[in-house]
Amino acid sequence: MILHASTLRLNRARQLLIMLMMMAFSLAAANEKVPVNHNACLRCHAMPTLAYRDANSNKIINLSIDSLALSHSVHGKLACAECHDGQFDRYPHQFDAQNRPLSCVNCHEEKADAAERHYQFKTIEEEYNQSVHATPDAPELKGFNCHSCHDPHQFRASRIGEPLAKIIHTNNQLCLSCHESARAHHAWLPNQEKHWQAVRCIDCHTPVTENDQTVSHQILKAEASNHDCVNCHSKNSRLLNRLYQYRTATNLEHQGWFNTAVFNDAYVVGMSRSPLLDRLALGVIGLTLLVLIAHGFGRYKAYQRITRNRK
Amino acid sequence: MKLPIIRRWFIVVSIPLILTLLYQFVYPLAFEAYVGKVNAPLVYNNSTELTSVEFETLANELSIDARQRAAAAIVAADQTPLARQVKIEMLMNTPSAIRNSEPKHIQYFRDAGIRRYDGPETCLHCHATMRIQHGDGSHATVNTLNDLVNSVHFKFQTEAGGFSTYGYDGRQVNSGGHKIPVGKINRACGIPGSFTWTGWAALIASHPEKNHGAEVLRSEGCGQCHIGGNYQPATEKMMPIGDVPNEAKNGIDCLICHAAQYDMNQRYVIKDEKGLRWNQDRSLRAALTVKSISSETCLRCHQHNMGGDVYQHNTAAKELGYINQRILHRGAKRGNPFSSEDDVHAAAGIQCTDCHIPEGHLIPRGRKGVDLVANDIPIKDVTCESCHGQAPHNQSEYRALLNGHIARLACETCHIKALQPDNVVLRDWVHPTWNAEEGIFEPTDIYRSGAPGKGFIFLWFNGNGTFLANALGSNPNGSADYNPLMQQVARITDPDVIAAVRHKAIELKQRYSDIDVDAYVEMATNPLSQLSPELLARREAMIANNLRNAMMQGESRIYPFKLFNAMMYEDMSNQGPFGAMILPFDYARYYETGDSAAAVKVAIVDPIIQRMYQEPFKRYMMDEFMAYFGITDGWKTVYPLVNEQLVNVEPHWMRQMGTLMVNHGIQSKGRECIECHAPNGIMDFNQLGYSAEQTAKLEQLDGIELRHKSD
Repeated sequence: MILHASTLRLNRARQLLIMLMMMAFSLAAANEKVPVNHNACLRCHAMPTLAYRDANSNKIINLSIDSLALSHSVHGKLACAECHDGQFDRYPHQFDAQNRPLSCVNCHEEKADAAERHYQFKTIEEEYNQSVHATPDAPELKGFNCHSCHDPHQFRASRIGEPLAKIIHTNNQLCLSCHESARAHHAWLPNQEKHWQAVRCIDCHTPVTENDQTVSHQILKAEASNHDCVNCHSKNSRLLNRLYQYRTATNLEHQGWFNTAVFNDAYVVGMSRSPLLDRLALGVIGLTLLVLIAHGFGRYKAYQRITRNRK
Repeated sequence: MKLPIIRRWFIVVSIPLILTLLYQFVYPLAFEAYVGKVNAPLVYNNSTELTSVEFETLANELSIDARQRAAAAIVAADQTPLARQVKIEMLMNTPSAIRNSEPKHIQYFRDAGIRRYDGPETCLHCHATMRIQHGDGSHATVNTLNDLVNSVHFKFQTEAGGFSTYGYDGRQVNSGGHKIPVGKINRACGIPGSFTWTGWAALIASHPEKNHGAEVLRSEGCGQCHIGGNYQPATEKMMPIGDVPNEAKNGIDCLICHAAQYDMNQRYVIKDEKGLRWNQDRSLRAALTVKSISSETCLRCHQHNMGGDVYQHNTAAKELGYINQRILHRGAKRGNPFSSEDDVHAAAGIQCTDCHIPEGHLIPRGRKGVDLVANDIPIKDVTCESCHGQAPHNQSEYRALLNGHIARLACETCHIKALQPDNVVLRDWVHPTWNAEEGIFEPTDIYRSGAPGKGFIFLWFNGNGTFLANALGSNPNGSADYNPLMQQVARITDPDVIAAVRHKAIELKQRYSDIDVDAYVEMATNPLSQLSPELLARREAMIANNLRNAMMQGESRIYPFKLFNAMMYEDMSNQGPFGAMILPFDYARYYETGDSAAAVKVAIVDPIIQRMYQEPFKRYMMDEFMAYFGITDGWKTVYPLVNEQLVNVEPHWMRQMGTLMVNHGIQSKGRECIECHAPNGIMDFNQLGYSAEQTAKLEQLDGIELRHKSD
């Protein structure tokens, strides 16, 4: 039974690995042209404080690009002008050249391998159009678009081996940067802190999707979101379809195959995420083994003595 | 049976009693004798009792004056003088004008029957405790007198941690177990040429030209600005036990900070049977004008270290005293004035305490301090950003790019374009010059300038400083080539400056024939040339091993720093790779005779300097002081005066220039791009640790239209 569960999870991880590798290859293939040089733009745009206060909104518009994050991002190999094709070669830039909205979907749908993608941009668009973020008449959502959550200059797929807690934290910070009063609205949630450390906002605030499908871009209203504990705290936890499908692979990276095999998901997800409990269990097993060995050794010694006495 | 019990009780009661008596009465006397300082009841002649009639006359005068000024500020100027006068008189006599503009203390004093100002005693009558607000918004009620007596304004040193200063041994000052009192009280400094202990109050017999050689007494000394106002600074506070005697507390000058009308002409040195001390304005007139603190009250003293004494808009320096007039200090300490004429914040009516937000009598300096000056609230920020926020530039077409610079440049770098031209850079105390107009010998300022690259330079700064006031920081590119303690602050390379120093040296040679001009210029502009190869090697090793860490901390930005070096007599028994203990001058002897060596001899006879050269003082603080100073084998108690002769004392320039932060004198319009981004611009990118390639890029801005920024 134990073996069976872990094999299942390993298979899932392998699938995911293959998927990510395919994505990486396809990206590399598309950009095999020339090594791009962002220096001309980054000379100014790498300044961490490059920003201005918008006269209309009175908000600070950040124009800074983290050059290291850009180089690691999925777009790092694109020349700046591939997306930004205005009159940007002189400073101050021409004003009419700015503010041209850039669409993720359009660009990605034009790509040759668009149809082979595991998670289609068309699907993303369809899901997004039903999301609360796409509510057309809400004034606070004016101008909401992909870039509101996904910084195209930093965007990259999560890496295997990256600690889940970190992924979860970064992910949730994104939501919390706008949803400032979210904490108060989740007062009903038992063990709120623990949940927030272990679960992404989107894990509850998106509809349940098919197995192996990544989390939907359709963000649900509070009322429509998951309130049912059992959805996660059960054997077939919906969390396992989501972020936690990376978990076994992550453990493999960190603890080696043997440890993972020992500390595998023999416990039902949600009933024990406690490393302490895992260790205690291992301790109990170890002790039992020791007792067994001691017992066997005693029996062996006793047997030897008996045979010696017989002689 | 009974007797032993009584005896036991007697012993139990009497031991604490005796200890208390010893502590209360014997210890203060013993301490006074040890440091050779006196305390005595203080009398001020201008603290006089008024009759009720005199009080009302004065009150009426002050009330009319205040109401008239308030009304005049409201009534429009573009009308006939008569019409204006009539309106002002109507307005100033309305009940609301009386309520709002009349000095509040008139009514308070009238009701309380106060007809004479007696110093702190009178203030504490009502203000025994005060409610203060901490930085986190919480409140507390404190004893006003204790609060003040433990503030840096009163004791100007602290034993607490919180210094952003690092010793050359790599330790943060007072971060360890052995804490020593440090601050202005015991920091020998080349700008005033003395310590507070030996230079507190002096009367100088000057012989000004216009008096045809007749003697005129002048006042001089640190006490002119420090609120103790007695015979000496509050040295008692440097000990772990004991307190300032009540006589000294009674000498606190509340009004110099709290009165709207304080007569600076009352600040002069007076001589009584106990010695020399500073007079103060204790008139009821000043006391009646008490109001909230304002820039005007702070600047009575602080314009001295900002704009300078001879700065055109230093109002306090225009009131030098009814008698024994104070000597003006020529050669400004920082040369960055805070005045509505020369600072945009002052012009906007912003008060000192709007940025330096006090908590009771404790006033923050900000977290970044390059010099060894104590800070009341070291954890409290005083920054531009706290008001201006993240993206302060919002008018210029270049606003985004200007904001972009903030990650690497402090606001001051662009918004202080020059210091006052009399900003002193090199001061020679050893070879004084006769000032015929004043009739005194003054230290010779070898070089003064307020120009960038000359009077001040740009350095990376992360908020840390060394024990001798050198800004620490590093180029964010991690370059190890940035080493100001071997380069920028240890060598003057500007040919104009070198030529000016040479010119001055030739001038000095006329009076001091033993001066070798070439050697003089070399010493002044290349102070490292005074170190032996062995000391030089040790210096480089100490910078690399001890200071790198403090340089690399946090986030450095480029700040402007005023440069300063002084030639003084040094005790060579206590020399290290960064300098030797400088010896103070006796002001009277120095100013009167111009015999600098004789002035040192007089000053170091002062009991507290003698104590410095004894074992208890060595153990209590000097060994630790020297360790921070970069001298590893402790303080040498070889007293440098034997049989009236200075022994092992030599004139030297400090081994590097001190760097003083400049934060005032802010201009609303900053620098133009090309002032820095051009070959031979004001910023030496190469010395700031940029590679040749980066420097070339920074000096040449392709693609950026360098029009006038505000176009």
